[in-house]
Amino acid sequence: MTNIVEASKLKKHYGDLQAVKGVDFAIRTGEIFGFLGPNGAGKTTTLSMLSTLLTPTSGTATVAGFDLVKQPGEIKKRIGLVPQELALYPTLSARDNLEFFGSIYGLRGKELTARAQWALELVGLADRAKDAIHTYSGGMKRRINIAAGLLHRPEILFLDEPTVGVDPQSRNNIFENVERLNREGLTILYTTHYMEEAERLCDRVAIVDQGRIIALDTPKALIDSLGGGIIHIGLSGKGDAVAESARALPAVKSIRRIDGKMEIEAHRAQEALVSVLEVANRLDANVTSLEILKPNLETVFLHLTGKTLRD
Amino acid sequence: MLHQILSITFKDLKVLSKDHGGMITLFLMPAMFILVMTNALSGSFSGPSDNPAPLLVVNNDTGELAAEAIADLQTVDGLAIEQTWEGQPLTRELAEGLIGDGDRRVAIIFPADFSDRILARAADSDSPAATVTFLADPAAGAQFLGPVQGAVQGYILRVASYAQAPTQIGAAFDNMAAEAEPQFAPVVKQIGQAFVERLNNGGGLAGSVTDSPVVFEIAAPADFQIEKFPDSAQQNVPGYTLFGVFFIAQVLGISILREKQEGTFRRLLIAPVSRAALLIGKLLPYYLVNLIQVALMFAAGVIVFNMSLGNDPLALVVITLAASAASTGLGLLIAAVGRTPEQIGGLSAMLVITLAAVGGVMVPSYVMPPFMQTASKISPHAWALAGYQDVIVRGLGASAILPEAGALLIFAAAFFGVAVWKFKFE
Ligand SMILES: Nc1ncnc2c1ncn2[C@@H]1O[C@H](COP(=O)(O)OP(=O)(O)OP(=O)(O)O)[C@@H](O)[C@H]1O
Ligand SMILES: [Mg+2]
Repeated sequence: MTNIVEASKLKKHYGDLQAVKGVDFAIRTGEIFGFLGPNGAGKTTTLSMLSTLLTPTSGTATVAGFDLVKQPGEIKKRIGLVPQELALYPTLSARDNLEFFGSIYGLRGKELTARAQWALELVGLADRAKDAIHTYSGGMKRRINIAAGLLHRPEILFLDEPTVGVDPQSRNNIFENVERLNREGLTILYTTHYMEEAERLCDRVAIVDQGRIIALDTPKALIDSLGGGIIHIGLSGKGDAVAESARALPAVKSIRRIDGKMEIEAHRAQEALVSVLEVANRLDANVTSLEILKPNLETVFLHLTGKTLRD
Repeated sequence: MLHQILSITFKDLKVLSKDHGGMITLFLMPAMFILVMTNALSGSFSGPSDNPAPLLVVNNDTGELAAEAIADLQTVDGLAIEQTWEGQPLTRELAEGLIGDGDRRVAIIFPADFSDRILARAADSDSPAATVTFLADPAAGAQFLGPVQGAVQGYILRVASYAQAPTQIGAAFDNMAAEAEPQFAPVVKQIGQAFVERLNNGGGLAGSVTDSPVVFEIAAPADFQIEKFPDSAQQNVPGYTLFGVFFIAQVLGISILREKQEGTFRRLLIAPVSRAALLIGKLLPYYLVNLIQVALMFAAGVIVFNMSLGNDPLALVVITLAASAASTGLGLLIAAVGRTPEQIGGLSAMLVITLAAVGGVMVPSYVMPPFMQTASKISPHAWALAGYQDVIVRGLGASAILPEAGALLIFAAAFFGVAVWKFKFE
């Protein structure tokens, strides 16, 4: 399996602000690759570099085998970008929008009409094709926004938070289309800050925060890396003593103190919980709160950064 | 590349056609201005026949020529000749009083020796010329005085030339006789005498001159040029057409910024389109709209106000092409320096209206004080309007408006230069 994108030490600085601080990753041909991270993590900036909109401050990358800086023209032909914000002409109809963007890629005549019709049917809006975009619901606009990136049969599609502000119906339509397009051979780079989306759709996920990739693996491997699970225990006093003793327990993998709470990474969650509570009892420490975190990507992010995805 | 340019052009025309604000600004607003202003101001750019200008005439001439010139002037549609006031024959004092009181604005005075001097000068070019005095209210605008002065001078000169003709022709034949071979001299002299006799007996001088087998071309002296001024339609139709044409700068500027804001510009930037194609595709539709604007407004001028387009439509096309280059250049410049569509909406309206006012669209520049006339040169409107009026009012051709077209292209080059330099694609 070859890599359709290879990025090496990719950096982007806006003045003093380091939006992307040197990322390395590869996207395999045919996979759905996720970029999961909170606001300002640098997802859009990375996508902009890969789609030749922004010149990297340093580092290199290839897309479909072409160099980002030296062969932007070749790359442009082979990528589709669905920008985070709607990028459509609101007063024109959906079909006019799609045919225009298709024609920019050199499609014309019957082929152009056919591709626009195909894209309209794909997103389920063929019956609204004649209506002006500004009469569409938010979710419908998003679907047309995606359709506009597909007309020229790209090899890889960059989707930048395609489900922001979308109703459940459109969301499902988008999910199904992403899966279907991928089945038909399209490689997809899917950017989101919803961990459920990354978990459901992506073959592999890069978790990004503050301009860095802090973890990269399949969703399952990332979740499994949490081991048996994460337990948060709040204690009033004697926290240091409890942590000290608990660290030696066989079911406990590691212990961290966060904001007066104790975060326990366990090999086996239930066994760890019982034995840590025993330690607390023995040392006469009061347990004020107790939480067993579900093993998911949100928890992985929390564990890696100490923050939630939507801080 | 051409395919892409045309795609963008076609798309922008479609977007514009759905932009009611833009359509009103570009088409309805100038059309309304033309309609309203041409009608409202039709009195002050008095068209000759419907509102003749009163002209006081004081005739002190002891000969016949002044009366002949006056008779000719009475045939001019735009002039109402007055030789008496309240039953009294006019005198210089009376005329000065009437002008001083503001009852009349202009008078001409023929001196007692008017005929004598003209005839004497025909025989002896060193004898003094006759002097006709023009009395004018200094407050009378050039657009009123200009045509009156032109007509009066023209008619007087014609009468004078015709009166001199027989004497001069006679003298010419005498000269020829003197230089001829001795045996032909009497014959030449005889022909000359017969010719002069026919001229003098023929009654109306003008008629006999043109009836005669010899055609005389009578030219006015070089420095005597009748400067023509526009009537209301000739001022307002091209003026407000340009007003609308330069508003394209606002519509174009907003359109570019809106594309940037709405992200469609990004979509175009990641597509395999060269930046040049992108810019050309973005400018071409508005350039075409400019041409349509001019065609429609001028057609309306011709149909509604019977405006003449002069003798050289090509010259109008040349000005239009150059003016549109300047207006779209200005639009790109506005897009390059503006931050948001809302901001440039207001700023560009102010700029475009100011340039129009300074350029003589609203108030003709020839009624402006001299420093304002000079200042108007900074406005592309002024050059374009001057070009149009050279063709429409003065009947000049393409070669005569090249300076104006050149000035407009310099404006265009400057606007484009700064715009491309300042333009940010991202
Ligand atoms: N044009 C710019 N000029 C200066 N700073 C910028 C610019 N674009 C982005 N940034 C900064 O770069 C950082 C990363 O932004 P980016 O848009 O890549 O984040 P993101 O991960 O896409 O966030 P979100 O989930 O909110 O879309 C942010 O701190 C942002 O403020
Ligand atoms: Mg983003």
